[in-house]
Amino acid sequence: MIHDLVDEPEGHTHEQIEDDDDERSANYVMGAETIRALRGVDLKIESNEYVAIMGPSGSGKSTLMNLIGCLDTPTSGEYVLNGQAVQDLDDDELARIRNREIGFVFQTFNLLPRATALHNVELPLIYAGVSAKERQRRAAGALEKVALADRMNHKPNELSGGQRQRVAIARALVNDPSILLADEPTGNLDSSTSQEIMGVFDALHASGQTIIMVTHEADIAAHSHREITLVDGMISAQHVKAPATAGI
Amino acid sequence: MRFWEGIRLALTQVWTHKLKSFFSLVGVIIGITFLIAVITIVEGMNRYVREDFAGSIFGVNTFTVVQRNQVNTGPQSAERRRREARNPELVLHDVEVVRAATPNAKQFAYMSDRFLSEVRSGGERRPNVRLIGGSGEYQTIQGWKVDSGRGLTPLDERRALKVAVIGSAIAERLFPTTSPLDKPIRFRGQQFTIVGVFEKQGGFIGNIRDASVLIPFSTYNQTMAQRREEVEEILVKVNTAAEIEPTIAEVEGALRADRQLRPGEDNNFWIQTSNDLLSAWNTINRILMTAIPGLVSVSLVVGGIVIMNIMLLSVTDRTREIGLRKSLGARRRDILFQFLTEASTLSILGAAVGIAVGLGLARLVESLTPLPASVSGFSLFLALALGLIVGVASGMYPAYRAARLDPIEALRYE
Repeated sequence: MIHDLVDEPEGHTHEQIEDDDDERSANYVMGAETIRALRGVDLKIESNEYVAIMGPSGSGKSTLMNLIGCLDTPTSGEYVLNGQAVQDLDDDELARIRNREIGFVFQTFNLLPRATALHNVELPLIYAGVSAKERQRRAAGALEKVALADRMNHKPNELSGGQRQRVAIARALVNDPSILLADEPTGNLDSSTSQEIMGVFDALHASGQTIIMVTHEADIAAHSHREITLVDGMISAQHVKAPATAGI
Repeated sequence: MRFWEGIRLALTQVWTHKLKSFFSLVGVIIGITFLIAVITIVEGMNRYVREDFAGSIFGVNTFTVVQRNQVNTGPQSAERRRREARNPELVLHDVEVVRAATPNAKQFAYMSDRFLSEVRSGGERRPNVRLIGGSGEYQTIQGWKVDSGRGLTPLDERRALKVAVIGSAIAERLFPTTSPLDKPIRFRGQQFTIVGVFEKQGGFIGNIRDASVLIPFSTYNQTMAQRREEVEEILVKVNTAAEIEPTIAEVEGALRADRQLRPGEDNNFWIQTSNDLLSAWNTINRILMTAIPGLVSVSLVVGGIVIMNIMLLSVTDRTREIGLRKSLGARRRDILFQFLTEASTLSILGAAVGIAVGLGLARLVESLTPLPASVSGFSLFLALALGLIVGVASGMYPAYRAARLDPIEALRYE
């Protein structure tokens, strides 16, 4: 599978998956059998896009998401993020990109249960080598952005599901990433809380954040401006509902 | 910065799982406790032997001539002991030979002693007493000070008077309420007059001295000696440490000539210095110091394996956390460092607890027995260093496993 990235005139972030021929794919070797999770996916995502990746289970959307999040590298093909070819990077460089360029939001929140909201948000900054004082200042700022300034010293079990996911969003944003990458962000939330979280996403997008989310729920995907549907490791449909660059 | 972050995280982990942490540390705690307790006690005995014991038995710049070596150690000692048992006993003639060979001695004395099953005065009795017949300067050379009354004088010696200076333990036992001075004391059918009481010594060796009775050598020779003119020890004190070796050589030569030993023949007497005692102690010390590392390392290895298992469990328990940290930008070395720090912190904490318990044990031993305790900075440093080594060694494999986890798999782990 391949991604290619193109610089925007303003020098902003994009990623793009571009396919020249059918031999670009992400393969997983399980036992003796080679499973090809993605085939010939050619995708280009511009800065400040709001993209939903949809598809049934087994369609390869998780694989695509892992590739975009630099948790995995393509077996063949290329992925260019902000002008940098990711597929050739080593583990440490991938970790650095995850740290600086990607903000993950998970279905299960993945907060450290014994740490306060503030400390959870500080985590990416620790790995970025930011000083303790600066970390606290920035983490507090990120929590304020998601309206949790009054819950900073609460632990996850003292927060509601929606609040936990907002802590996770603050954590994803704290390093000012190029891409906010959400994997079924409302999968563990009831419908009203889901709407609350999507409201946060919409507002972030409105303020210029590039968002890519993986979901199988149509009403969640409806918030995005572009829906990409994967079937059997291939893009089966692309549907653009709004201009990719929301000029704010 | 990241270093302190790691320590803080590790301490949080340890504190969160207090009981688990404690049990995982039992091996290390026991090992370090043992190390500290033994080193502290041995170190204390060391100082005691060097500073008090040797000096108080032999005095400074002093050597003694005896029939045979009384401090036997080493593999050939049994054979040597048999040979030395055939050495002639010392007699007053030997005293004159040694005296003639040491004209520049600062002090010179000789003595003989025997064990008394009891001494009596009035209705009171004190069992197990050492009776010493000492020549004029014996008490001076030994540094024994008189607490009340007087010590022995040349006149006592010349006239072979039946006078005695007694140890404080005997005085307390026989005369709990009155002064012992000028009172009679009886043993082996003879009556002596008490003219003085020695200062209380106390302590490990002092207990023996406090239970001694000193009478003039001439009196001893006439009334108590098992053989005529028997002498147990000849004591020579020289002016400076540098004089010890040449003076010993003089004495050795004089005695060999007097006894008509041929060149190459072994001495049939023994000259003892405080070095003999120290070397005997050093042998014991060396054996202990060789045995301790073996014993300690067994418990530390066991402790390390326990820590490794706990850390492996911890890695499994926290697979998702590791995946999350990696997704947030933790590099392999960050994860490696985190778990190494955790294992080391755990282990050093164990060492710290071991140090505390070990010192407590040493103090306990000190208060219950006459053995002194001496804390050496080296042993504390060693204990902490061992803690760190055990931590790093046992954390290495679990930390490596954690660092190698694939972030995708780890995040998906249930």
